[in-house]
Amino acid sequence: MEKGAALVIDHVSKSYGPQKALDAVHFTVPKGKVFGLLGPNGAGKTTLLRMLNGITRADAGSIAFFGEQLSRRHLPRIGYLPEERGLYKTMRVGEQALYFAQLRGMKKEDARAKLMHWFEKLEVDGWWNKEVSEVSKGMAQKIQFILAILHEPDLLILDEPLSGFDPINAQRVRSTIQEMSNQGDTTILLSTHDMGSVEEMCDEVALLHQGSLVLNGPVQTLRDEARDGRVQVTFRGTVMQFTVALGASAELLEVTSDAPRPGEHTAMLRLPSATDSSQWIHWISGTVQLTSCTEWQPSMRDVFMQAVNETSKVAS
Amino acid sequence: MKTLKHIIYREWSTRVRRKAFWLGTLLIPALLAGSIGISVWMNSGAEKEAKVLVVDASGLISRFDDRREVWLPTHPDCFPERSKLMYRFAQEAMGDDEFLKSDFDLMVFFDDGILQHSSAKYYYEKAPAMSTERAISNDLASAIERFKVKRDLELDFETYKRLKTSIKLVGEDVVTRDGNATGRALIGFFFSALLFLQIVIYGMHVMRGVIEEKANRIVEVVISVVTPMQLMTGKIIGIGLVGLTQFALLAALGWLIYFAGGRWLEASDLLKATSDASVSLDFESWMATQSGLRFLLDVNWPLMVTAVAVFFVLGYFMYACIFAAIGAAVDQESDAQYYTIPALIPPMLAYLLAASSIENPEGDLSIYGSYFPLTAPIMMMTRIPMGVDGWELLVAIGGIGIMSYLLLLASSRIFRLGILTRGKRFSWKDLWNGLRSRH
Repeated sequence: MEKGAALVIDHVSKSYGPQKALDAVHFTVPKGKVFGLLGPNGAGKTTLLRMLNGITRADAGSIAFFGEQLSRRHLPRIGYLPEERGLYKTMRVGEQALYFAQLRGMKKEDARAKLMHWFEKLEVDGWWNKEVSEVSKGMAQKIQFILAILHEPDLLILDEPLSGFDPINAQRVRSTIQEMSNQGDTTILLSTHDMGSVEEMCDEVALLHQGSLVLNGPVQTLRDEARDGRVQVTFRGTVMQFTVALGASAELLEVTSDAPRPGEHTAMLRLPSATDSSQWIHWISGTVQLTSCTEWQPSMRDVFMQAVNETSKVAS
Repeated sequence: MKTLKHIIYREWSTRVRRKAFWLGTLLIPALLAGSIGISVWMNSGAEKEAKVLVVDASGLISRFDDRREVWLPTHPDCFPERSKLMYRFAQEAMGDDEFLKSDFDLMVFFDDGILQHSSAKYYYEKAPAMSTERAISNDLASAIERFKVKRDLELDFETYKRLKTSIKLVGEDVVTRDGNATGRALIGFFFSALLFLQIVIYGMHVMRGVIEEKANRIVEVVISVVTPMQLMTGKIIGIGLVGLTQFALLAALGWLIYFAGGRWLEASDLLKATSDASVSLDFESWMATQSGLRFLLDVNWPLMVTAVAVFFVLGYFMYACIFAAIGAAVDQESDAQYYTIPALIPPMLAYLLAASSIENPEGDLSIYGSYFPLTAPIMMMTRIPMGVDGWELLVAIGGIGIMSYLLLLASSRIFRLGILTRGKRFSWKDLWNGLRSRH
């Protein structure tokens, strides 16, 4: 067992008939971090999350939870907000919240006190005695989020936690997740297609595609590794002058005129691998009027697309 | 165990506090009384007015009154004028057109052939009520009988009536000394029907509850906390307790009506007026004097109430397992019909057998039906008021218990398979594969 790991997913496989949902997936989720579980639809994320919640079992491999073999007795230490979520429509909000807290092993009075705190914090107070059928979708989403975190789990699994929220409430929930992460007591496993949230919140990610792990590591490392010598420059003057000045020193990939300001152009270039980028910048600044020059940093969306496309090419 | 307790309490409390539950509980006695009232009304008041022309072509039961110049019955007491049935007589039939233009609803025609065939033909534009047909048939039979007595026996009708004898069989059970087997069979059937309704209604509640959880998409949250087996068991027990609560309320209501009604009757003079006793009677003593009600005192009510509770619990649990699996296998209630029809066949068969066993409550069909697990909860109720041996109860209870356990195992596999599946209707093959899978 790896020390300091909240989860060790050890060569886990699962099939549904002839369909392989997970194929010997192996990665580690470090304790106290926000870990992104990424992948296109049908990659096997939900299958893995269901295994972590004891809903389905692996055909092969094992999962360690804070150094122990994961079993149902660990479930009270896990919080889960599934993508497909709902509430009992004919129950009152407060009564329902207490019910789920008690199912997770909390005492009624403790649960009530904590619920009051979270209801106030996420501005759900005042809805305690309302029936769920009277509550708006966004409000119901907040209640579901509270139900997942209320028992202060060691591992919090969030599957698309921000879907359905307006920007204000999305930010409120995002801040809450980050606060929990900063406190370091809760490991957060975040499954999402929102790459902005991944960049903003995740320390590490694992990318699944067609049931296999295709990428795993810290977000910054993966973005750095995805750099391919591309440089983004902004210049004044004409595109023709810039192209002539560039000559064969770099490959011009793309030019956007009048960006970011009128009279300026932004160009994406790829330098040959042997080129010293700082020397090249020094040289080109003397030739054309540069206003900025930065090495291109791929976003997580770029990293995601690149990895998925490469895997698909290999598979085909 | 605590988790199960919370699930059971939620299932019970969310249903018991609904207005529909209380309305239903109070309406059951009213509906039963209403259905009895409707059947009485249908047998009496519902019949339409009918004006009947009796065409006695051979003049067997009618005569011509010269003074009034009309045909009249020879024996008017055979054709009493009723509020909704009026007779007129003739010797010649009307043609079809004439009949349709007339104000007669029916035209009965016969000649002396009726003496051999005992049948008469009647014509109508709109078919009469069965009770009207029965009344006319009885009146005609009485008039023809009277004619035959006079013609063949040369007796006056009063002497004939005195000589005519019918025998009434009065039975008595040598063990219980009770004689009203039919009354007790009716009580048994009443409870069979009640159990049939409750088992099916609450079984369907379980199915709807599961479908609702799937449709609300709450099920994934729930089964990340509890096992599918715990969820299914908690739901079945919780909803079953709603049924038991309703039984308890109905029993309390029944007892209250019996107690309060009895005291009210004692306070009034109605009991004395309807009995031969010269002194005031309490309600129980009065019932003992009434031949039609005496058997109610002989029924072992504590045993009946206990049996209702036990067989409801067992029967409900057995069928609820099936309905829970059906709920898990479909996305919406309309899809469930595909599976509910086969699931409803055994309880419906049991109900029909129970109804047919009123006439022969101790026949082979009743006895074997009360042992077979799928029909036993409903059919055993028809036999208990007649008296059953302890071993028979044990066979029925044991059989249902074993069947329930097997169904629980089978249903939990289908439940686990279906509960997280959406957008797919399971084929019978899928269900079979689900039964064989371990996880």
